[in-house]
Amino acid sequence: MTVLEIMERTGVKETSLAKVWIKDAIHLIQSSSKEKIKVRKQDVLKSVSSSDNVYIMPADMISLESVSLKDTSDSKYKKIKRLTFQPSYLLEDTSP
Amino acid sequence: MSYNVSKEWYYYLRGRELLLYKLLGGSTTERISQSGILSTRDNELMYPDEDIADGLRIEYTALNEPFVAEALETTTAYGSGTNISFALSGTRITTTTANFWDTTSGFAAGDKIRIQGSTSNDADYTIDSFGGGSNVNMVVSGSTITDESAGERITVTQIPKEVASASVDETSHANINQMLSLAIVDYVKAMKAESMGDLATKEYHIREFYSKLGDNEGNKRKIAVSFPTGPFAVR
Repeated sequence: MTVLEIMERTGVKETSLAKVWIKDAIHLIQSSSKEKIKVRKQDVLKSVSSSDNVYIMPADMISLESVSLKDTSDSKYKKIKRLTFQPSYLLEDTSP
Repeated sequence: MSYNVSKEWYYYLRGRELLLYKLLGGSTTERISQSGILSTRDNELMYPDEDIADGLRIEYTALNEPFVAEALETTTAYGSGTNISFALSGTRITTTTANFWDTTSGFAAGDKIRIQGSTSNDADYTIDSFGGGSNVNMVVSGSTITDESAGERITVTQIPKEVASASVDETSHANINQMLSLAIVDYVKAMKAESMGDLATKEYHIREFYSKLGDNEGNKRKIAVSFPTGPFAVR
């Protein structure tokens, strides 16, 4: 459905406003029904300092679908589990 | 080497950050003295102790490519065969079947395509033109072509072509199917009603919006649910 068709069906006359509302609607759709999935891969680092263990989530992420890690024994990505609580030792401890 | 990762690796979400942990114990043993005593440190977590190239894979939804050049329902061109080869010279994909690309498969210049099944050329491309006798050559751009002979079963599928944000106009299509487009119509009506202070109408259209989202999800899952009728039920 084109932007123009949506504008005609809704009686909105400002194109820029219609585009913003359409993007908002797609945002809500992606938030609740996972219409289009995106994948990002990044390197896992051997932790030699406390900051090495911190991985930045994708800046454009709306909702998280899954997190997998590469099993180097068979080169397959396998889903890993989420911890509900952060381990109690200090972040600065690099050799727990 | 990482192995048994589904049982020995964990992540923790801290705001916008993801922290990775590895279980120390299980398949991991640690020598703690020269006499050969191995520690058993079950349920202790440690930071990753190895580098893994592209080791972390995150699947997520994003507001990516919200507008496309063509309605999703019409991006149906598809071709498949074992007689498809790739040539870096001329950046072309070639088949031995006459008019395979344009007539049989339905591709047109300007379409975006996804190659799957090749040894070295799986990627997304844009069709620039057709050429050669009976249009057996498809000239593409967008990704690098590597020379590859025919032999593998290769599929070529049309995918939606994104319209860059600066170029979105009234002729651009929302990158979703017709059912969700109808949901968007409801959402825009809701926002319009809200801007006019008509909250009852807004609530109605928001309910319609989520109802259509539910319909769309239901359309992907054909599940028959039956409930037994109670002996005293009104029939």
